Amino acid sequence: MRTRAVIGSAFAAFAILAVGWEVGTSSLPPGQTVTAPTSSAPDSGGSTPNSGTTQSRSAGQSGSASPSEQNSPSAAPDPGSSSGSSNSAGAADGSYTGSLERTPWGDVQVGVTISGGHIVEVPALHLTDRGGQSVQISNYAAPILRSEVLRAQSAQVSMVSGATFTSEAYLASLQSALDQAGF
Amino acid sequence: MTAIIKQEAGSSLLPGGSSSESLRERRSRRLRRRRLISDLLVTTLWASAAAAAALYLASGGMADWGTAGGVVTGLGILTGLIGSDFVLVMLVLVARIPALDAAIGHDRAIALHRRLGKPALYLLLAHAVLLLLGYAMTAGIDIGAQWAQLWAMPDMPLAFIAVGLLVLVVVTSLVVVRRKLPYEFWYGVHLLTYVAVLTALPHQLSVGGVLAEGTVQRAYWIALYIVAIGAIVAFRIIEPAVQSLRHQLRVERVEWIAPDVASLYLRGRQLRELGARGGQYFFWRFWTCSTWWHAHPISLSAAPTDDQVRITVRVLGHGTRRITSVPSGTRVSFSGPFGLFTDAARTAPRLAIVAAGIGVTPVRALLETGDIAPGEATVLLRSSSADSVFLRDEMRALTARRGARLFLSLGRRGGHDDWLAGADRARGASLRSVFPHLLASDLYICGPERWVGAVAAEARAAGLPDEQIHAERFDW
Repeated sequence: MRTRAVIGSAFAAFAILAVGWEVGTSSLPPGQTVTAPTSSAPDSGGSTPNSGTTQSRSAGQSGSASPSEQNSPSAAPDPGSSSGSSNSAGAADGSYTGSLERTPWGDVQVGVTISGGHIVEVPALHLTDRGGQSVQISNYAAPILRSEVLRAQSAQVSMVSGATFTSEAYLASLQSALDQAGF
Repeated sequence: MTAIIKQEAGSSLLPGGSSSESLRERRSRRLRRRRLISDLLVTTLWASAAAAAALYLASGGMADWGTAGGVVTGLGILTGLIGSDFVLVMLVLVARIPALDAAIGHDRAIALHRRLGKPALYLLLAHAVLLLLGYAMTAGIDIGAQWAQLWAMPDMPLAFIAVGLLVLVVVTSLVVVRRKLPYEFWYGVHLLTYVAVLTALPHQLSVGGVLAEGTVQRAYWIALYIVAIGAIVAFRIIEPAVQSLRHQLRVERVEWIAPDVASLYLRGRQLRELGARGGQYFFWRFWTCSTWWHAHPISLSAAPTDDQVRITVRVLGHGTRRITSVPSGTRVSFSGPFGLFTDAARTAPRLAIVAAGIGVTPVRALLETGDIAPGEATVLLRSSSADSVFLRDEMRALTARRGARLFLSLGRRGGHDDWLAGADRARGASLRSVFPHLLASDLYICGPERWVGAVAAEARAAGLPDEQIHAERFDW
């Protein structure tokens, strides 16, 4: 009767793995990077890049207050549909959305809120979330980068070790937002 | 007389027993059922390992296999998932689930538990090493920096503690090491497994990307933990407590039947409702200051009545010395009954029983309650001297009453790996000569592990199929 156990085990294992494979590959079309589970609610389309856009999709600033949920990936307000009030020139107060940076571990996009000529907040609109450890690295690195930026009042801060891609993309996105603000 | 070994006076020789048609059908139906459950269990084990791997595949893990670092990381996640699954299966195996015991026997469940120990540890160690490497490769930093970064993440220090504890648990359980350790020490360390399982959980749920919040994977994983820990709590804590409270068992008296062997008479109420069969054992816990912390697996040495059970214990170490010196009136809690060393496991028309030393106790209870026709059973008791044939008078009376033959094989063994007395072997005795109908018999063997192995080996060599060999260890 051992044979039956062996055949049964092999069949069950194969079937289960096949289902897992099928689910994994079908839910992750190439080029789309936001299906990896993140630790917060789904994007609702907000910060998700649309399939056509790739690099530096910078949106205008929005005059409203900064989003309340900082540092939480994919909990951002609609970056694309924000409306601008005063454009560029001389570090105008307001919220600005940085460029969307692509990394092998997922997209990164941050914003910046300027008030009284100071960087007061760096809302993380989307952070690396692809692959086993990416969400952790994001959650680990983003608060460090944010506090560094707030202290240095610029995007010229050192990167977080072990979070190279995230750091580079984070700071690049931030820089583009600062550029818009004329900071 | 077929056997060369001296037949014990008083036992009768009657023509061979034959099982009725319905009995044979019932037995073969039970056997098929046990086989089916056993096969399903094996299938479930491998299916659960596959499911652990499938969790990773379903979360799109294969998309990361484009780089070397991604591959190493992926393997690290897979080994972690499968290793954790094995640990949970190991918990289920030691949970003493009655249905599991009835299908494969608790001792076989324990044997499987032991076999899984090392693979589980290797997988979890590989998990730690591969992820450290994989992350470092992907991030382009050295291992030390990666280690520091991992250590700084939430829940990771706990996970490192869990791995350390598992190493300790498995190392102390290696046969070579365990033999040198006092049972108490090993047991104490083994309890740390629960700590390891619980400290490993937080990082799986917070750091593990596969098991992120809101995923099916996470729900499945938590369900696995609930099943494994729930089984332990239900069958090792709640059920024994409820049963013990209900039956109110206490030590009535301790009767020494040899210098190192004592029978404990335990009194309680409605004991028949336990449904214990002759040959089964319970885990007994005696509530005195020095014995409460350790439950002993001991067979019934007589069929239970409604208000009394008897166990017979040979003093082999500190634990058995302490439990044979508990005062009358000591409260006893228990879990059980367990074991397939019973009539329920029969598959063949005749019965051949071999027991060594204190291994006679379940055999005695089996003979007492089993469905045995006159002439059907033959019993061989093996002992180093005539003085250490325990329960000899009871066995003589019982075999006479059940119409069974009783043989003794006394004196030094024929060799290190022999199971018969040298003198008997020299006269040409063998398993076949003692049990001429061996191939039409169920062979029940009870004794020390090595000795049981020697009997079973001779039986297999004689052509007895495994399903007719029933062995249960009593020395673990």
